[in-house]
Amino acid sequence: MKEITLTINDRQVKGKEGDTVLEVCQANGVDLPTLCHLEGLSDVGACRMCVVEIERERRPVPACTYPARDGLVVKTHTEQLEKYRRLVLELIFTERNHFCMFCGQSGDCELQELAYRYQMDNVRYSYAFPSLPVDSLGDYLVVDHNRCILCGRCVRACSEVVGIHAIDFGKRGWRTVISADLEQPLGESSCVSCGACVQACPTGAILSKLSLYKGKTSECQQVTTVCPLCGVGCELKVLVKDNNLVRIESPGLKGPRAALCKEGRFGLLYDQRPRVTSPLIRDRQGKLEECTIDEAIETAADKLRELKDGFAGIISSRYPKETLSLFNRFMRHVMGSDWIDTLDGRNYRLIAKGISQFNDKGRGLDVECSIEEILEADCILVAGADVLKTHPVLGYLIRQAISQRRAKVVVIDSVRDVLPLWSDLWLKPKAGSEGVLFNGLAKILIDKGLVERQKAPAELLQSPSGYEADEVSRATGIHIGDLELAASMYGEAEHGVVIYGEGLLERNDPSLVTCLLSLADLKQHRSGDHLRVISLKPHANSHGAWELGLAAEDIPQDKLKGLYLFLADEQEDEGLWNWLKGIDFLMVQASYHSAITSLADVVLPSPIWAEREEGTYASMDGRVSESRRVLQPKDGLLQDREMLIELSKKLGRELVPS
Amino acid sequence: MAKVKVATAWLDCCSGCHMSFLDIDEAIIELAKQVEFTRSPITDIKEFTPVDVGIVEGAVSTTSDEEVLRKLRDNCKILMAWGDCACFGGICAMRNLFTKEDVLRRYYIETESTREGRIPSSEDIPSLFEQVRPLNQVVKVDCYVPGCPPDSKAIQYALSELLQGRIPVLPSEMMRFD
Repeated sequence: MKEITLTINDRQVKGKEGDTVLEVCQANGVDLPTLCHLEGLSDVGACRMCVVEIERERRPVPACTYPARDGLVVKTHTEQLEKYRRLVLELIFTERNHFCMFCGQSGDCELQELAYRYQMDNVRYSYAFPSLPVDSLGDYLVVDHNRCILCGRCVRACSEVVGIHAIDFGKRGWRTVISADLEQPLGESSCVSCGACVQACPTGAILSKLSLYKGKTSECQQVTTVCPLCGVGCELKVLVKDNNLVRIESPGLKGPRAALCKEGRFGLLYDQRPRVTSPLIRDRQGKLEECTIDEAIETAADKLRELKDGFAGIISSRYPKETLSLFNRFMRHVMGSDWIDTLDGRNYRLIAKGISQFNDKGRGLDVECSIEEILEADCILVAGADVLKTHPVLGYLIRQAISQRRAKVVVIDSVRDVLPLWSDLWLKPKAGSEGVLFNGLAKILIDKGLVERQKAPAELLQSPSGYEADEVSRATGIHIGDLELAASMYGEAEHGVVIYGEGLLERNDPSLVTCLLSLADLKQHRSGDHLRVISLKPHANSHGAWELGLAAEDIPQDKLKGLYLFLADEQEDEGLWNWLKGIDFLMVQASYHSAITSLADVVLPSPIWAEREEGTYASMDGRVSESRRVLQPKDGLLQDREMLIELSKKLGRELVPS
Repeated sequence: MAKVKVATAWLDCCSGCHMSFLDIDEAIIELAKQVEFTRSPITDIKEFTPVDVGIVEGAVSTTSDEEVLRKLRDNCKILMAWGDCACFGGICAMRNLFTKEDVLRRYYIETESTREGRIPSSEDIPSLFEQVRPLNQVVKVDCYVPGCPPDSKAIQYALSELLQGRIPVLPSEMMRFD
């Protein structure tokens, strides 16, 4: 980028071509006040706080939208400009309700801060006192239009950072308000409650119910960690006061991973499930009774000594790599068992088998691409992947690709259109006919000349009968026109991305994975070494756990006598409960009571995500992040690592963390 | 040296600013050596006599508020506003989001504990204005100490500036609206 030189307040400063005057000021330590500007969002010049005087401009201009040029002569703090700024503040204060003593954001408000800075101890104009509604019916968000200054930061965060664009300006002029859809209450609109708007709001107009009055930013410690929920691996900035969670934010609104989902931002703050605070053992009457850690470990060790074989370990991939690998060593070296699995191990075995059938060069999960590829996509196939439910942030990326790249979205799902507002086409194959569908799409690509014929797999060319369009249409129940439309959307795309997930994997057929990889390979939808295919990995560290080899084989359920289940703060799962209920000896390490802990013979308490010691996570596309401890664990609560070491000691073996 | 004469008044308010003033603690002894309080809720003197400094807490909400404010203005050289209600309308101005009738009905008739309530009306009772106003929309105000209530340090700062012959403007770090 070309360097340019400007004169700001009689000082020669450097900037880059393409910068705004505000950016040059900020890079050179000129402290310009701003309100509607926020790093990561586009600039609109709405508030006029950053007005500057530029030589040969007839009137002051907002620095945030004025392009910096070589030779510009800028004045930022003349007496006149400072007067204007104070005047702007006074006008903003008179427009609506900006009385701080009954506002939840007082002390955390940019408008208030600026009024202090400009020593605004009175207002020369009369106040408008419009009586505007307050929308507080949503799960987590309160919108108080009376506190809104119409800076539009929430609107831009919603459309630019998240991509959802559920809110925008409604009405006109004096009556303008932030409006969700066509003036729906936020909770009933297309809003996804991701809370980017709360983070963007400079005043108390958009508030989070869970964080209100819990602590001001200045009173909080800030810890950056990785989200413990799905495999996207978002970075979280957690604010803590007196060992209580106050709020969760995205560390910045800039970049492709800046959005958080509802669960990550709000759900983590408030878990109503009862905590496992003490170890429990089943007494002679078969009742679970509280006991000391020593008693629990003693009981567990006695039982484990009895179990010579048939003992397995299952761990949630919510744990960091360090815990996963210690658990692995505990099972192999202390218990002498090779039966180790993760809660999502079945997914891995299907995906891994599918990849190995596609390509025998020993490629693993790294054959897939990074999730940023979604942002570049002009066509996205979403196959059996309820992204908005399981990996909402991926859903937002899809939405951004739609609005910024005009990406076409084809949903392949035998139950419902998982993206009903966004999809261009929904293919509804009969359950189990997905494989035929994928091959059929490949055949159309070849027949239409949308791919190079020599790249096509031999079986498609030699036995065309099974995959002729009418045959495929009959087998899948999808109209031929839709098949052709889907094929041409994906085939004519330059940057096609395939996302698949649970809906496909539940067919228990690794060749479906192979088909999708082949389809991407056929059309050469690849970035370097990586095919533009993304499998949804359910947990924060699924990728890490799978790479450690924890989910290599199915545990033979019929030979299973005892099980050590590392559940962490995992949600309840009926399938798992059914699977566990016949086991003779079940030991569960969990943070919360659930139907599963009530099946157990021994329950050991486990820290929740925020109390867990630091560790390493690999996101679904293999990006490595460090998690940090956010809260001090409750009194006497052992870390999972300590629990494993104690248990090993009791069993007469030493377990050393690597 | 003759003592500086100060009168104070509270209008539509919670008296928190006067309480905060009393929070200057032992500094009040030094202050009393330099200042004589005439009319004030603290001295309980009701008559207005000419003073150097008039101090007002609260917003202008009733006919009585306006009368007191105007009398004080007429009798003082410098008028200082204490607190967010006096400076901006503050919490008193919350009622501006409703009509006067709604406010009176809610208060005298619809409150949950009220049975057969009625809105009092008598010439002896000051009547509410349609809108609550900060002081500067009624009379000329010379200086302001915002805050809800202002910190006693801010009040002390403003008074000491006045005693040294300067019109106080609170520095940014002393500014508070809550």
